[in-house]
Amino acid sequence: MSEDGDKKISSSPKYIIPPNIIPGAAVATTTDHFINWFRYSSIWYMLFATACCGIELMQTGGPRTDLDRFGSVFRTSPRQSDLLLVAGTITYKMADRVRLLYAQMPLPKYVIAMGSCATCGGLFTQSYSVVNGVDKIIPVDMYLPGCPPRPEALNHAIIKLQEWMRREHWADKIRKA
Amino acid sequence: MDAREIYGLLVQKFPEGILEFKENLLDPAIEVKPQALIDVAFFLKAEQGLEFDYLRCLSGVDLKDQLEVVYQLHSIAKGHDLVIKVKAAAGDPVIPSVSGIWKTANWHEREAFDLLGINFQGHDDLRRILLPEDWIGHPLKKDYVPQPEYHGITPDRPDGLDAIPIGEGGEQPRPPIQYLPAMHGPKDEPEGKLFHLNMGPHHPSTHGVLNFMLNTDGEVLSRVVPEVGYLHRGMEKLAENLQYSGNMPYTDRIDYLGSMFCNHGWAMAIERLLNIEVPKRAEYCRVIVDELNRIASHLIATGSMAMDVGAFTPFTHWLRERETINDIMEMICGARLTYNYMRIGGVSRDISPAVVEKTLAWLDHFDIIMEEFDRLISENQIFIKRLAEIAVISAEDAIDYGLSGPNLRASGVDFDIRRDEPYSVYPELDFDVITGKAWKGSLGDCYDRYYCRMDEMRQSVRILRQALKAMPEGDIRAKVPKTIKPDPNEVYSRVESARGELGYYVVSDGSPKPYRAKYRTGSFTSMSIIEHLSPGLMVADLVALIASFDVVAPEVDR
Ligand code: SF4
Repeated sequence: MSEDGDKKISSSPKYIIPPNIIPGAAVATTTDHFINWFRYSSIWYMLFATACCGIELMQTGGPRTDLDRFGSVFRTSPRQSDLLLVAGTITYKMADRVRLLYAQMPLPKYVIAMGSCATCGGLFTQSYSVVNGVDKIIPVDMYLPGCPPRPEALNHAIIKLQEWMRREHWADKIRKA
Repeated sequence: MDAREIYGLLVQKFPEGILEFKENLLDPAIEVKPQALIDVAFFLKAEQGLEFDYLRCLSGVDLKDQLEVVYQLHSIAKGHDLVIKVKAAAGDPVIPSVSGIWKTANWHEREAFDLLGINFQGHDDLRRILLPEDWIGHPLKKDYVPQPEYHGITPDRPDGLDAIPIGEGGEQPRPPIQYLPAMHGPKDEPEGKLFHLNMGPHHPSTHGVLNFMLNTDGEVLSRVVPEVGYLHRGMEKLAENLQYSGNMPYTDRIDYLGSMFCNHGWAMAIERLLNIEVPKRAEYCRVIVDELNRIASHLIATGSMAMDVGAFTPFTHWLRERETINDIMEMICGARLTYNYMRIGGVSRDISPAVVEKTLAWLDHFDIIMEEFDRLISENQIFIKRLAEIAVISAEDAIDYGLSGPNLRASGVDFDIRRDEPYSVYPELDFDVITGKAWKGSLGDCYDRYYCRMDEMRQSVRILRQALKAMPEGDIRAKVPKTIKPDPNEVYSRVESARGELGYYVVSDGSPKPYRAKYRTGSFTSMSIIEHLSPGLMVADLVALIASFDVVAPEVDR
């Protein structure tokens, strides 16, 4: 049973079905798999909606796309979130605040730049007050193009992030940061 | 009274102070000497028969050797408009402040100071509003050179995918966090007695990136100073560098919850400049998408109001309904949020019978859902207790501070641009203007602002049913020249958006790009009344107050 379950985890890259736990039985797995299982099943994202993309972020959390299915729920405090979803334009005036928010998040933390504004400045590249891409101020793990990206795209990004998390050695992630 | 008659009156009264009557402008303007401005403004507001009690918009324009300030006045009581202008030399632009006469001017003057460097004499709090304190220069000046860097952030962006460290968490060197200089606290706080608290710019109930600086004594607020500009994207400057039609997608982003109104206002302004007649069918298409958009926007407004005071479920109900509107919009124009649907002279695509059918079916369903929503939240005792009697705004205050849209109407002022200054095909449609009824408390409290929006959605449903049935056959776009080059002129056009009056003041100099475009938005003006309302409220009431205004951050900051 235990070996079986372990094999299932490492051999199937897409879905991990937790082994049917028989009362009183023990399950053996690697610490990484075990910890990653918790991590990717509860990616709490920070509700950091600065502009238009924030509305699509809300719709993604809403009934139709329903991010909760993947264990992703929004948090309003950086201290409780694993993922910073930068949804919208970041201006120079906001830049220092974004850094502060990022610094307050506990490790290991991830950043998705949602929309072309957060990715590269988007429509407002020529503007005098817009930061051309949030990667100028904080490290970004994933870029999500679109103006705004559709809820399906954001959904896909979260699934992609789950896949990464599954393969990661979480302690490395902390050490690197 | 029309502008010529008022000019006659003014010349009689102030023979020294009035300079010129510019009759050939689309909105005839009266130029006033700076020295006489205060007297003239006071006369215009107080004189029987004129009663200009509402300052719609105040815009600064850089004329290179001179700086000009344009005041769009309106009289709610008499229903007439007037434009007055004041000029000052570019070297030392000093213009007396009218913030003592119309409170709306307070924030608008700060904006003109921030973006154009106009010094308003007599303004008691003249400091930057949209840009950070340590910003250099005034961006809307024609000779402005952007800063090469700000706090270590440069605007350059390397091209190509290689430049992006994908999946690696980014190895590029980044400037360290600069801890912020002390924030602007409210000025008159007695040392040590009050608690100073920052609410925002990242806060779930400030609706985007708005910041409120609170002075509290326990739970009771003694003063709240809104600090805006965290989403100032410089749209007005961008518009100056774009062709008239190329600015349409940017207008979407002024108000992402009501993109259609922004499209509509911009199209109307340019059509007025070019003197283009829009085909009937296109006008119907515009009204249909406007009203759909109004419902979608009010859904977020009422839903998030419930969420902010602690009821999460209604919001998810409304998000579900919004998805259907998004689907309909997608069928109409291909986008869910930033529509870019309208064109100068018409609309980009026709509304198909399938859309009509789907919309009518959804409207029937929506009627039932509205009843359900009323049962779920409007009659909920906790909800009523949180909103009724909170932050009551009198009709005089609402007009003085330039509130507009549902916020103004909730205070009992019966003013709706769709009916009072009709545009498009609204005169052909039958609908009621909703005003506050003091359902659960006094007139103009947060509950009235909430219920006004609920009732407006019902009216929008009414309009939609009529418009979908009455839509005539025909073209959807007028003949418009390839390159749009309006004659030198200027225009102020307004639409009734979900957040009130959305006005575009556009100056054309005969080139293919606008010389100046100023966006007057409902949220910007409604934010400025918060400081006046806040003393004595509880911290939790402030959340209800902000929610009841339905402010959208990019509309405040542009
Ligand atoms: S990417 Fe587009 S939709 Fe998203 S914030 Fe920027 S302008 Fe708005």
